[in-house]
Amino acid sequence: MPSLAEIVIGIVQSLFIISFSPLMVGIMNKTKARTQKRIGSSVFQPYYDIIKLVRKDEVVSDQSSWIFRSSPWINFVAIGTAAFFIPIFLSYSPFGLVGDILLVIGLFALARFFTMLAGLDVSSSFGGFGSSREMMMSMLLEPALFLTIFVVSLTYGGSNISGIVTTSADSSLISHPQLIFAMIAMFVIILGETGRLPFGNSATHLELTMIHEATVLEYSGKSLALIEWSSAIKQLILLSLIINIFVPWGISSSVSVPLLTTGLLLFIVKVSLLAVSIAFLESRVARWRLFRLPDLIAMAIASSMIGVVFYYL
Amino acid sequence: MISNLVLFQIPILLFLVGALSGLLSRNSRLARPMIFVPAMIGSIFTIIFSIDIITGASLKLAIPNILPFFNLEIFVDGVSAFFMLIIGIVSFAVSLYSIGYSKEYETKKRISVFGFLFNIFILSMILVVSSNNAFFFLIFWELMSLVSFFLVIYDHDKEENLKSGITYLVMTHFGTALIFVSFLLGYIQTGSFSFDSLRESSASFPLLVKNLVFAFAFIGFGVKAGIVPLHTWLPHAHPSAPSNVSALMSAVMIKMGIYGIVRTVFDFSGFGASPDFAWWGVLMIAVGSISAVSGVLYAVIEHDIKRALAYSSIENIGIILIGLGLSVVFAAYHLVSLSVLAFVASMYHTINHAVFKGLLFMGAGSVVYATHSRNIEDLGGIIKQMPWTSLLFLIGAVSIVGLPPFNGFVSEWLTLQAFLSSYQIPSTILQISIAFASLPFALTIGIASATFVRLFGITFLSRARSKHALNIKEVPRSMIIGMAVLAAACILLGILASLGISLISSAFHLPSQPSSPLDSITLQNNAKNAVHLSMPFVLILFSAIAVGAFGFIRTIGGKTSKTIYGTWDCGFGNLNEKMEYTATSLSQPIRAVFKVFFKPHNVTSKEFFVSTNQYLIKSIKFNSITKNIFEESLYQPIISSTLRVLDKIRKIQTGKINSYLLYIMITAVALLLFVRLSH
Repeated sequence: MPSLAEIVIGIVQSLFIISFSPLMVGIMNKTKARTQKRIGSSVFQPYYDIIKLVRKDEVVSDQSSWIFRSSPWINFVAIGTAAFFIPIFLSYSPFGLVGDILLVIGLFALARFFTMLAGLDVSSSFGGFGSSREMMMSMLLEPALFLTIFVVSLTYGGSNISGIVTTSADSSLISHPQLIFAMIAMFVIILGETGRLPFGNSATHLELTMIHEATVLEYSGKSLALIEWSSAIKQLILLSLIINIFVPWGISSSVSVPLLTTGLLLFIVKVSLLAVSIAFLESRVARWRLFRLPDLIAMAIASSMIGVVFYYL
Repeated sequence: MISNLVLFQIPILLFLVGALSGLLSRNSRLARPMIFVPAMIGSIFTIIFSIDIITGASLKLAIPNILPFFNLEIFVDGVSAFFMLIIGIVSFAVSLYSIGYSKEYETKKRISVFGFLFNIFILSMILVVSSNNAFFFLIFWELMSLVSFFLVIYDHDKEENLKSGITYLVMTHFGTALIFVSFLLGYIQTGSFSFDSLRESSASFPLLVKNLVFAFAFIGFGVKAGIVPLHTWLPHAHPSAPSNVSALMSAVMIKMGIYGIVRTVFDFSGFGASPDFAWWGVLMIAVGSISAVSGVLYAVIEHDIKRALAYSSIENIGIILIGLGLSVVFAAYHLVSLSVLAFVASMYHTINHAVFKGLLFMGAGSVVYATHSRNIEDLGGIIKQMPWTSLLFLIGAVSIVGLPPFNGFVSEWLTLQAFLSSYQIPSTILQISIAFASLPFALTIGIASATFVRLFGITFLSRARSKHALNIKEVPRSMIIGMAVLAAACILLGILASLGISLISSAFHLPSQPSSPLDSITLQNNAKNAVHLSMPFVLILFSAIAVGAFGFIRTIGGKTSKTIYGTWDCGFGNLNEKMEYTATSLSQPIRAVFKVFFKPHNVTSKEFFVSTNQYLIKSIKFNSITKNIFEESLYQPIISSTLRVLDKIRKIQTGKINSYLLYIMITAVALLLFVRLSH
């Protein structure tokens, strides 16, 4: 049984993800603005947006059903629950006794399932093509993500996130060449899962570029706030996964205040660096044509496969 | 305390009563209760009996010389009881559902015949899993196949249904023939048709015979289970049958194929922990992967709601076989705990598929009952008029896709864990190939999600796409309760996963400690990192987050109002159902990505006002066709070459009696010569 301190830290970690995630979006937006020679909005703008949206009245389509109305809640609950399983500054989460990384993937799939249904529910073509594109992407991203997990759990033994992170904190990335392939794949998958360029452009609302935005086009007010927030949480979860699986250096492996503080500070530095570099990358590439994206995901799958072969040979 | 022999006889009697009273009811007003109430009670007793066997001792009896040479032997152990439990649960729900569903057949068709066949069908499946003698097994197997054939062609005024029935009849007999060969091989070795003698002496068969017994049984039972490429009957027969029968066929009957494979591999074929047998598992994984991927790929583009569900059954049989194959490979290398894990995963998916596919077929049946259309392009907006059916169908869809906290997730999670443990196999080739097999498995899960988003979204959400879906009303209460039974089973098996696992391990006598239903699943495959899954706790987290988020939003945001207004139409106005996304357009990207498989072919024909002016177009007709590569490149050549040979043979059948007399004489002379020369 985990001790009380561990449980408290586990809850603090998940609340940290939930509350810190909009800031990450702000940092990425700011970086993008700066690379485009704009001043950009404050890094705290996503928080202001959420508070503003929560206070606004909603408009709900007369064609929609309870699926449309409950989908933001299911989204938030599923992704918020996923946050409980992610180690941030303590290398193990007491919630590892509840679920593993496959459960996190399952929770993401649950959220996505209802987002796609909500897109269809409003009977507009925007929602329809949003769902259609999301369908295509998710159908390929899910196996890609699973294969990456496969390589990681082969290397570190089992799909328990706490186990993976604890083991990887004690070993070096260089000693496991297969992990480099997995990391490349994971990076591509994160770009896809969060709808970043070259997959989609979350900054525009244009028919040609929308994927995720199209499915949630009809939302307003509180529902939109929940959706924006849950996609921010999902993004931070994925970034934390890539950091703590592949470069967990400095993460605390026991409950002690100085170690936890260093762990937290190092995590913030690492995740901000990763976010800034993704945002910088976004300003350098153009969006790919929709039907070229499967090639990119196939590349990620191939990379994981090479990782598997490397592990066994 | 009633002995389990009596408990076994009660359901048999009840189903016979149901069948007879069905025949005697003569379409009276009491016909429906007379048919389905005995079936319901019989199903309840089947459940009680199977739980009694799973928790207690097995039942064995023999009635010698019921026919010359052949003893009627009954043996119900945990394995049979597990499958009997599946039969009981699904047929209880389906019988309840049928009380309402068969109302529309009351006036049109002879419901008495239907009632007879329905009861005999369930009874034959119970007898298949409980017989302990190859001869009677085949008789019951044949009974099951024939009765289901008559049920498939029950709506025989549509020619399409007759065609499906014939395909089914041919394929199922092909399968039965191979099963027969497999049993005969055993008979040659042991000199007895009793399964007991197979059990005792199969370990001493030569390796070649063991391999042959397995191969014939696998293909033969595989036809019934619907493995690719022997699946062609399935997507035709399941939609043709009335929906309550499709539910029984898809949820239960194809599991009889799985039962046969499990029995053969672990009971009759002399399987042992030796790498010689690893190829059995590899074959199952390969066939399972192909079935899973091709089943789901056909499901995702299918327009007929029942046919899409039938294709999805092929997919799920693939998943079950992948688990079974992993279990066999692990067992061949003597990795007992991993073999148990994969086997539990496979059996868990078997029972899961029975409950959610039964539920989904009944849901589809309700949609057809209300709208009289199976084409999802005609439907839409049903959720507003049929809220209960939609909710229950959604539960089935979420479960089959494998989303937490429903039951599909648990079995797929277990299978994935089995994949993740494949590194313990001491053979590099197998390690790498099983790792590669996880790709089709993961891809299947991804596409299944798309399939059911499309099936649920297009059928139940947004606006009605045609008059079929307008002015409909919710189905009768008995149908809703029938579906709700299986929906409850989906939720229970998802949340109380340990309950399902204890059930399976006590049914199959697997080495695992019984645990309380609320316990988490713990897998200790690696010395360092155990893996856990605890659905009740996930639910606690769900509610904590929901309450927290609700509290936060209400404190910060206060109370806000909701305005109901039209969907955003870019300011043009008059959004109508023709502007909605259709099922075809929704899956178009998937068709494009997998064009190697679908070979899509588009034909556009334009009609002009004046043929000289190509700019003024009167109408455009667009036709998009996908090809079925299995039917075109495998079955068509076989069928056409068979026909060619038969055409040649027809030439000797002149119809003249003199020539037939000549043939008889030639045969007689040849036989006489043969007898003379062979002495």
